This record gives sequence, structure tokens and C-alpha cells, in this order.
Amino acid sequence: MQTPKIQRVIAILWPSFLMAGVATVLFFTAFDPQALLMDTRFADLSRLGAYTIGFFLFWVLTSASCLLTCYFQRPCALRGEPENQV
Amino acid sequence: MTDANNTTGKGHKPAGATSMSFYAKHEKIYPRKVTGIFAFWRTMGVFVLLGLYYFVPWLSWDGRQAVLLDLPERKFYIFGLTLWPQDFFFLAALLIIAALSLFFFTAVAGRLWCGYACPQTVWTEAFLWIERKIEGDRPKRMKRDKAPWTVNKLLVKGAKHSAWILFALYTGFTFVGYFTPITGIWEKLLVWDMGGWETFWIFFYSFATWGNAGFMREQVCIYMCPYARFQSAMFDKDTLIISYDENRGEPRGARRKGEDPKDKGLGDCIDCTLCVQVCPTGIDIRNGLQYQCIACASCIDVCDEVMDKIGYPKGLVRYTTEHALKGGTTHILRPRLFVYVALLVVVMSGLVYSMATRIPLELDVIRDRIALYRENNEGLIENVYLLKVMNLDSKEHKYDLKVSGITDLQLDTGVKQIVVKAGEVIELPVRLAADPTDLKKRSTEVHFHLQAQDKEKLKVDEAARFLGPVSR
Repeated sequence: MQTPKIQRVIAILWPSFLMAGVATVLFFTAFDPQALLMDTRFADLSRLGAYTIGFFLFWVLTSASCLLTCYFQRPCALRGEPENQV
Repeated sequence: MTDANNTTGKGHKPAGATSMSFYAKHEKIYPRKVTGIFAFWRTMGVFVLLGLYYFVPWLSWDGRQAVLLDLPERKFYIFGLTLWPQDFFFLAALLIIAALSLFFFTAVAGRLWCGYACPQTVWTEAFLWIERKIEGDRPKRMKRDKAPWTVNKLLVKGAKHSAWILFALYTGFTFVGYFTPITGIWEKLLVWDMGGWETFWIFFYSFATWGNAGFMREQVCIYMCPYARFQSAMFDKDTLIISYDENRGEPRGARRKGEDPKDKGLGDCIDCTLCVQVCPTGIDIRNGLQYQCIACASCIDVCDEVMDKIGYPKGLVRYTTEHALKGGTTHILRPRLFVYVALLVVVMSGLVYSMATRIPLELDVIRDRIALYRENNEGLIENVYLLKVMNLDSKEHKYDLKVSGITDLQLDTGVKQIVVKAGEVIELPVRLAADPTDLKKRSTEVHFHLQAQDKEKLKVDEAARFLGPVSR
């Protein structure tokens, strides 16, 4: 059974968004970005900027994971069947 | 990729007509305006909740914003309380309490949250109101959407979107105002000199509001909401649900006024389809309980009105329970509720207890890493430490520092008094000195005791190691 396209797009972008939020909160509660970046060339980055970039990096990572899950969920061809005969 | 992949190309659809319906284009839903007791309560909910949302960031407390989750400063201010990243536990406990309360209310009264309090519902209601004011009610909106583009249509649609976008922008601005001081960004906004990150989040949140409340609407509930998927797990046969009374309503059918339905073999439902027209998720409540139903009770309101008009008793669609529908009795007190309440009480008392006993003072002791120990000119063994004193309280304190663990242990802080302002951290290098004859081991545990002068309970105790040669 196929799912509507919007549901598939949401299944990739939305759970990853939620988890990226959780990851951002946990990560930046434990680590102060200003302390982390102190000796790097990003030392001038404000905390708000670091949170934002951190959030989007997490989102890229989590949505990649969701994308792979969705990709591997596609039915495989059975033995002896030609490809794409879903 | 193989050739087989390329030749099939895009738009390959599975065989079999049954799965075709899943590709059906999303049908836009035009909820009709509804009045009645539940619509009144939902409107009240919108006013109270949105009122709070837009008003709270402007409250002040002790000369600062009363509710400010200050992300740039890494401190949360909630009225008199200041929370630090170390207090993360409280946030986790609050979330658990919120989740358990949701379970409890779901078990008692079904999807109360969805119908009256969920931000998605509340903002959608506000957006629908704007839409109705500008575009008119359901029939007008449907007609306009079907009609070809004219100057008038462009103007009406333009006006709606302008109003929506303005409202969404103010919503986004308020959202950011919970995380950075709102008066600050307001002043900067007036001269258009905001920080880039603040601006980004204002637009991001505005865009999400506009998209979710203007376009996605019920699809958020159907495809995105995890709660909508698992709420049925909290349901039982005594949970309040919105249901159509099939026994009374069927067989449905139109009739003339004053006609006795029994003569025509009809039930009470006149099949006016108003319950379908008012539904924000576009379902027909007469088909039974569906997971798309957000329990907004619009169908109850509109059906009651119709029943009144034709002189039938109200409640063809009503709040009821499965047990009551089958002619049984509803049991309000049931084991499931006691379990939820018990868990809630445990977590809540845990939170209250830890809040009440929270000591807004922290002490970190870091040993000097360069030298293990040294002998000073009086022949005593000396260890150097760096103390970090964090005053998590909302006012300044003076502290006394004492040490223990070794006989005649001497403390040298190099300052007359340890004073830390509210919400600040100071670093204090200290030296401990002990007579080598008092050292029994290479490494002895010593304790730093920090005590506020003005508050007996405000004290912490931190252990450290004192190193030295062993005398025999």
C-alpha cells in the first residue's frame, strides 16, 4: 500500500525536526557553545547563532536518517521478479 | 542505476485500482461558521490562550522580563525563579507532568486538548476568523475559489494574506521575545536594526504559523501529530467521545416540516449535512468515531441548532461514552485514572520537594594541575586549588569558606570576603597548607564548606584531594 506523498515528505522532515529540537536542547544544555568555540575561528559567533547552526546541523543529520529509513522501507523485488514491479 | 530503472521513469503507479484512492489530491476543507455553547468555549480558549501568549512576555518582575527563557545568557527566568542549565531536571519533570496530565484528560474526556487548547487549533481558529471576515463564510469562499482570477478575487485574497502575514509576523516576534528580552528586540525592530539570528527566527516562526494555520490545518493533525496517532490507547469505553446516535438518527432522510418521520420510516437525522460542513477535518461524524476527529464539537453545536429548529430533542450528536451509547452506565472512577493520578502525584511531589530544597549555590573545586604540592618556607605542605563559586540566587550574598579533613589545615584565599552578585560566577584561587606530620596518606580527602552569611540553609560542601609526602 502506498502512502500519500505529503505523508512521506512529512515522515522525513517532521520527526527529524522534533528530534533535532530535542538534540539541540540536550547538547546545548550540557555544552556552552561559547566555551566550545573559544579557541576556534568561530569565537565571534553569538550563542544564538551557535544554537541556530547547531539545530540545523542536527536537522540535516536526523532527516538523513529518516530519509534512509523511508528509502529502505520501499518494498524489494522478490527473487526472480524484474525490478520496479512493486 | 540500471536501465530498468530509467525506462520505467517517473509516475510509475502500482497496479490495482484500490490503491489509487491514496493518490487522491487533497481536498480543501471549507469549515462553515458555527455558533453554540462549545463554539463559545473554544473561542474563550482562543482568547485566553492567545491573550496569554501575546501578553506574558511584556510582564516585568524585579526590573526584568518576568518570563524569559534567556538563551543567549543561558538562564531561565520564571517570575521569582532563576533556572540554570544545571537545573535541567526541573524542565524534564515539567514535561513528564504535562504528558501525564494529557493522558489523564484524554482518558476522562477524550481529545479535549485537540478541540480547545492545542496551538494548532487555536491559531487555525484565529486564521479562520480572519479568513471569514475578509472572504465570507463557506459558500462564498468555495464559490470564489472555483471562479477565475479577477481583480476583485486578487484584492480579496491579497487582503487575507496580508492580514495573515501581519498576524504571523507578530506571532513570530512574540515567540522570539520569550527567548531574548522582548523590549530590546522591539526597540531594535522600530529602527530596523535587529540581530541576524533573531530576524531569522522571527521569519522562521512566522512562516511556520502562516503555513500551519493557513494551509496545512487539519493535515497537521492527521499526518504530523504523534498524539493523534496514539491517543486511542488512552481511550476506554467510559471515555467521553463525540458521537452520533445511530439508533436515533437512522435511517436518515429529508422530510417536510410537521411531517411525522415515523410515517416515512425515518429516524431523527434529516441529512442536512451541516455536521459535515462545519467539520474542520472534513469527516462525517455519522460514520462513527474516526481518528481524524479532533473533538471540537462543532457538529454538536450545529446539529443541536437544527434539532431545535425542527422541534426534535437536542443531542443527536453529543458528548457521550461507548457504554452510555449501548445503554449501559458510565463509570467515571476507574483503575486507569487512579494510575495516572498516582503517577502525577509522585512526579509533582518530587518536583515540589526538589524545588523547595534546591540550594541556589554551587561550588566547583579544581586542583591546580601544574604542581602536585610544594613545601613553603615555613615547612608546611601547600596545595593550590581554583574554586568556582556560582550564586544561582536572585540576590547578592557574602560567603564564609571553611576547610576540614586534616588537623590544623590552613586556608588562604587572598581576599577579605567572598562576595558574589546574583546570577554570577567568580573564580577564586586558594591555597591549603598542612603540617607534613599530620599527613597519613599521599592523598587525603579534604572538604570545602561554603556558607552564606545571611542564610543558614544556603551552604554547600565540596570534596577535594590534598596531596603530599608521607612522613614516617
